[in-house]
Amino acid sequence: MNPFSHPSRRDALRMLSSGFGMLALNGIAASQARQLASAALPGRAKRVIFLCMTGAPSHVDTFDHKPMLTKRDGASLSGFRRGAKLMGSPWAFKPGGKSGLMISELLPEIGKQADHLCLLHGMHTDVPAHAQATTKLHTGSFQFVRPSMGAWTLYGLGTENKNLPGFVTLNPPRNQGGAQNYGSSFLPATVQGMPIKVSGGRRGRRAQDPVADIRNPRQSEKQQRAQLDLLKDLNKANARRRKGSDDIDAVIESYELAFRMQSELPELLDITKEKKRTLEAYGIGGAETDAFGRQCLIARHLAEAGVRFIEVGMGGWDHHRNLREDLPAKCREIDKPIAALLADLARSGMLEETLVVWSGEFGRTPYAQNGDGRDHNNRGFTSWMAGGGVKGGFSYGATDENGIEAVEGRLSIHDWHATILHVMGLDHEALTYPYAGRNFRLTDVHGEVARDILA
Amino acid sequence: MTTTRRASRSTVLGTALRIGATLLVLSPVALTAAAPQQDRTRALEQMLRRFDKNLDGKIDPDEYQRAPRSFRRFDRNGDGFISREDLKPADEAAAPARPTTEQRPPTEEEVEFFETRVRPVLAEACYSCHAETSPRIRARLKVDSVAALLEGGVSGPALVPGDVDGSALIEAVRYEDLTFAMPPSGKLDDDQIRDLERWVAMGAPWPEGPEPSMTMVSVRDSAGGESLEREIDMEEAREFWSFQPVTRPKAPRIDGDRWSWTEVDRFLRAAMDEEGVRPVGDADRLTWLRRVTFDLTGLAPTPEEQKAFERDRSSDAHEKVVDRLLASTAFGERFGRHWLDVARFAESSGMDSNVLYPHAWRYRDFVVDAMNEDMPFNEFLKKQLAGDLLEASGPNERAENLVATGYLALGPKSHNSRDPREFSLNLVDEQIDAMSQGMLGLTVSCARCHDHKFDPIPIEDYYALAGIFLSTETHFGTYPGPGNNHTAELLPLPDGADLPNGPRLTPEIQRTLEQLVQRLEPEPAPPMSGGSGMQRGQMSADERAAARRERLQGQQVAMLKDLLSRFDEDGRALDGNRLTMGAADGTTRDIAVLRRGELNQPGEVVERGIPEVFDHAIEIGEGSGRLGLASWVASEENPLTARVWVNRIWLHLFGSGIVRTPDNFGSGGQRPDHPELLDWLAAELMDSGWSTKSLIRELVLSHAYRLDSEHSTSNHRVDPDVVTLWRMPDRRLEAEAIRDAILQAAGELDRSRPEGSRVGMVEGVLQREQLAELLTSEQPVRSVYLPNLRGATIDALGVFDAPDAATVEGDREETSVATQALFMMNNEVVLQASDAMATRLLAFDGTERERITLAYRLALGRDPSSSETTGISRFLKQYEELTPQPEPAPARQRRGRRRTRPSARPDSSRLTPSSPEHAAWAAFAQSLFQTAEFRTLY
Repeated sequence: MNPFSHPSRRDALRMLSSGFGMLALNGIAASQARQLASAALPGRAKRVIFLCMTGAPSHVDTFDHKPMLTKRDGASLSGFRRGAKLMGSPWAFKPGGKSGLMISELLPEIGKQADHLCLLHGMHTDVPAHAQATTKLHTGSFQFVRPSMGAWTLYGLGTENKNLPGFVTLNPPRNQGGAQNYGSSFLPATVQGMPIKVSGGRRGRRAQDPVADIRNPRQSEKQQRAQLDLLKDLNKANARRRKGSDDIDAVIESYELAFRMQSELPELLDITKEKKRTLEAYGIGGAETDAFGRQCLIARHLAEAGVRFIEVGMGGWDHHRNLREDLPAKCREIDKPIAALLADLARSGMLEETLVVWSGEFGRTPYAQNGDGRDHNNRGFTSWMAGGGVKGGFSYGATDENGIEAVEGRLSIHDWHATILHVMGLDHEALTYPYAGRNFRLTDVHGEVARDILA
Repeated sequence: MTTTRRASRSTVLGTALRIGATLLVLSPVALTAAAPQQDRTRALEQMLRRFDKNLDGKIDPDEYQRAPRSFRRFDRNGDGFISREDLKPADEAAAPARPTTEQRPPTEEEVEFFETRVRPVLAEACYSCHAETSPRIRARLKVDSVAALLEGGVSGPALVPGDVDGSALIEAVRYEDLTFAMPPSGKLDDDQIRDLERWVAMGAPWPEGPEPSMTMVSVRDSAGGESLEREIDMEEAREFWSFQPVTRPKAPRIDGDRWSWTEVDRFLRAAMDEEGVRPVGDADRLTWLRRVTFDLTGLAPTPEEQKAFERDRSSDAHEKVVDRLLASTAFGERFGRHWLDVARFAESSGMDSNVLYPHAWRYRDFVVDAMNEDMPFNEFLKKQLAGDLLEASGPNERAENLVATGYLALGPKSHNSRDPREFSLNLVDEQIDAMSQGMLGLTVSCARCHDHKFDPIPIEDYYALAGIFLSTETHFGTYPGPGNNHTAELLPLPDGADLPNGPRLTPEIQRTLEQLVQRLEPEPAPPMSGGSGMQRGQMSADERAAARRERLQGQQVAMLKDLLSRFDEDGRALDGNRLTMGAADGTTRDIAVLRRGELNQPGEVVERGIPEVFDHAIEIGEGSGRLGLASWVASEENPLTARVWVNRIWLHLFGSGIVRTPDNFGSGGQRPDHPELLDWLAAELMDSGWSTKSLIRELVLSHAYRLDSEHSTSNHRVDPDVVTLWRMPDRRLEAEAIRDAILQAAGELDRSRPEGSRVGMVEGVLQREQLAELLTSEQPVRSVYLPNLRGATIDALGVFDAPDAATVEGDREETSVATQALFMMNNEVVLQASDAMATRLLAFDGTERERITLAYRLALGRDPSSSETTGISRFLKQYEELTPQPEPAPARQRRGRRRTRPSARPDSSRLTPSSPEHAAWAAFAQSLFQTAEFRTLY
């Protein structure tokens, strides 16, 4: 086999539907299989739930406790940002759990889960602009269209449930990079994330039916199967006419997946069978927490069903002004739902093999903007991980005493990606895909695993 | 260092950024005593230009029309005019008595009052610009000591102890004269102003002793490249490829090249030779016909058109097809839609409250018509930026010019925002973003808070452009009400213009609107118990809530009545509906740079103008400067405009741009794959008088465009991205083309243009789901004419990546996900079209084989192979057997029962109950829509 040849999507599909182990047994796509196998590590986590906070939450008001900043409240900066005035967090931080991690009073429920959290205070990224940084966070690049980390993860590990997409993204934003953030780029189209709209019960659209067109109004399953068999024949005939046109395989697979999803997905998205207590814990029915609570609960369902990578989105963190009013409101929207998700996963033991990741695309400045707001800050911010494979109740890295710049345990987005892949049992340097004459990685030519945080 | 080129260093106090109708360029404060003579002269000239309406070189109080007190301050010699006489040195003029500087020591109460009520206000509101510790002292005024206040700044003493009305400090904080209002971040609370007045009245007591110190915290600068502060070397920046003038390179000649037909081919062939790839063979006739028909019209070739082209063996058969397509109205609907992506066209504001823009459709029609007329592309852009300022030959052209400026008005806006200045700045930012990315391929908006990170756009350039747009009034319409704090008049269209009045209200909508008015209209108010003199503070919470409700209802009723008044009782739009979104010149103003985008930190004022890197010494001229900007954008000297447009055309014909980031030609974007070809195309466009159609004609008649899409392993190894176009890349059809083609194959597509848009029937905030569903429900018109609501994209379009118009989107996403499959399997639009196509096929008088062939011609533009026909025959039989005979009556009952259950299946009442034969043909038709081939151009 020619080492440069492009593995067909069909090969890729077969790998995906069978996962790693099966891949080797089936003896297919030797070079690709070897490549993937060489990426395998003994990973702790089997799936990722990525809580993506677009708009960039203020780290110094949530997870990065800065007592010196509070002391210097109102002081002017010299040097960089000369003249800007420091603004201490208007909110107190409290020790949470046995570990005593300091977490803002804005997030009391998450604070109670502190012993699960691994706070990463040394995060930094390239550009303080939302769209670029969000794309970078998801794909490792903001200049080029590259596969998203969900796509890489799915490509590396395959799916556990062939009736469901292996990568689901709930309510992804249309802007800030849009579909690129869950795209597969040059990876097989089948590892692309599937966007699912989950709406809150009240304002929501089709609260009963989060996935549009999940049922056929008049065909029996047999009829639809017969129709899809015809479709498969027509598509295959076309594939023979246009030999080498890879998209046809992706289309075939998308129909097969859709057909299977019809039976399984509605159940997973249905939260009506949950106990009242559970709904309350997630804040479902609460004025502020309903929308995000639903997403978190559905994320748990999807995780249980074997979806490899689940992204849950919450935007609206871009607090250039009105921070004192808007940030607490935003925190209330996520606090209960996330805490309930962590507690739920921990109770069932699933947290041990689920990596929960929380991050914005960057952080915010510790100095004030418009008196009551904070500007973009890409030089230092906090994200956290919890669950499978990382230390709980642990704090890693630090920003300077004002919270402007990451100075210890610095993690670039590439480092962060490398660490996530590592926890998932993938060697970021070996997880490659040949394209345009070279082997591409999620981490390009960078990335160092933050070994200190591994459990 | 060139970035301060247009900064004027004087008069910073006056640059307090006032958005609204009142921002002054240079403040008259510079006129007063303490300002340097030079600044005072400039300030006076500014004032004369603005206020001296009779041009006698003097401003009399009538012309001035502002606070008489400030008039007296500027009329320094007291002759009743502000004139050049007032510039004479102070001792010559009848200067006001200098305030005394003698101060008695303050009493204890006074100290306490000062420390608790005055100093905190001064420190909080003023010290950032007016204190010893300020990073920059503005207007040379400090307010951190009584001596400094007495000494004053460029506008003279700020304080006259004991004289409240005579103290400039008080005048400024009262916000009476908006050219002299402080602090810029917003008016102080009334209590705070009263405290300051009281303090001045007390004689301005100020305790001895140093100012409580403020810590200066040193923060190290980040290493090298990460800092956002940098200097831009303009000379070096101009070397960047896209800022270089467009040249007209010669196409390479290759010995013995028989492959190339056109200049474009020669460029590509040379690139192929260099890479060592060989072009594949030509596409067959029907493949080419389907490709070119979709590319130019967004529709499939009809079976008749296919036949005619197959029969036409003349040497110019291809030319004839291309000319027919370019002449069809469908061309404008196709390429117009491409431009609408770039123009982020939508009919609602999106963002937080999503306010409807019921007149936006006029802009949509303008774009479609302009494409069909082949309006010179530079003129097309010019009209959109400054049509209101252009000469017009008559009412039709005048109307067109006004409608075109709708471009500036229909971007996303946060109508719910509370701060009017923030709203204006965001509006302007959005306009700059749309214009710079869409027309110039530059991301100028990145320079709003700091110099551009990658491109030579200093922050001053951003505010130079912002000044142009802030000197422009944006007429976006809408009504005040819940969710909308920002409204603007629409522009009336000139009488006699040949334009539709608007959509006809559907009876359903008309009834709904009338009922709403009835329901909301208040009863004649009963006399209030407390009488009309009741103070606001005395109202109970309930009463306040009721008053608020009443006010909001009143607003709603007024809006609905105004809307209904524009239609007659049969729902026909009246002349009163001849309104458009658009732009007009407002008060001319230069504005101050806002570092970090902060409103309360105005920096130096910059003159309105175009970015400095375009070193053409362009005069933007009188008024807002928008006409100057538009002329520059439309100019052949502009290195970007033509390049950006030809690249967009290329993208729509060959799958990706020569510059693969069509909205970014800066250093954050990608370099052109074929720089010389790009320039050649740009030169060709300009030489043809900016004719889009000529360029398209040239491209689709090239040999490159004729190539097949087949793979070649050896070529693929070298050029997997098909950069050299050794084959035609497969392209997925856009959402609109997929939907239109489904309806077209079904025989259901109404090709005529609807008058207006459904959105034109309503007003207000798109908050209710029912409204969104009413507006976006299926309508068999071409997709370009469907409602374009931000945040409520029509399902059939959204599922195939139609843009949400949040920003310029020159290259759409192309996803391939299972949701698309679900849509094609289960969505009612698809099912209905499948039914209609089955009916059409069964109505065709022919054998089963002939019907299958017709279906292929309709859906895929080719004949089926014999094995395909056999397989389909077998399927039809099998499916018939799986389908029970319909039982009309019980079926309806069953549906009725189902509807009451929450887990009911989607309402299928609109789907015709089918005979097994019909159901089988419908399933087959649907399968054709579902194929990869249907959605792909090969």
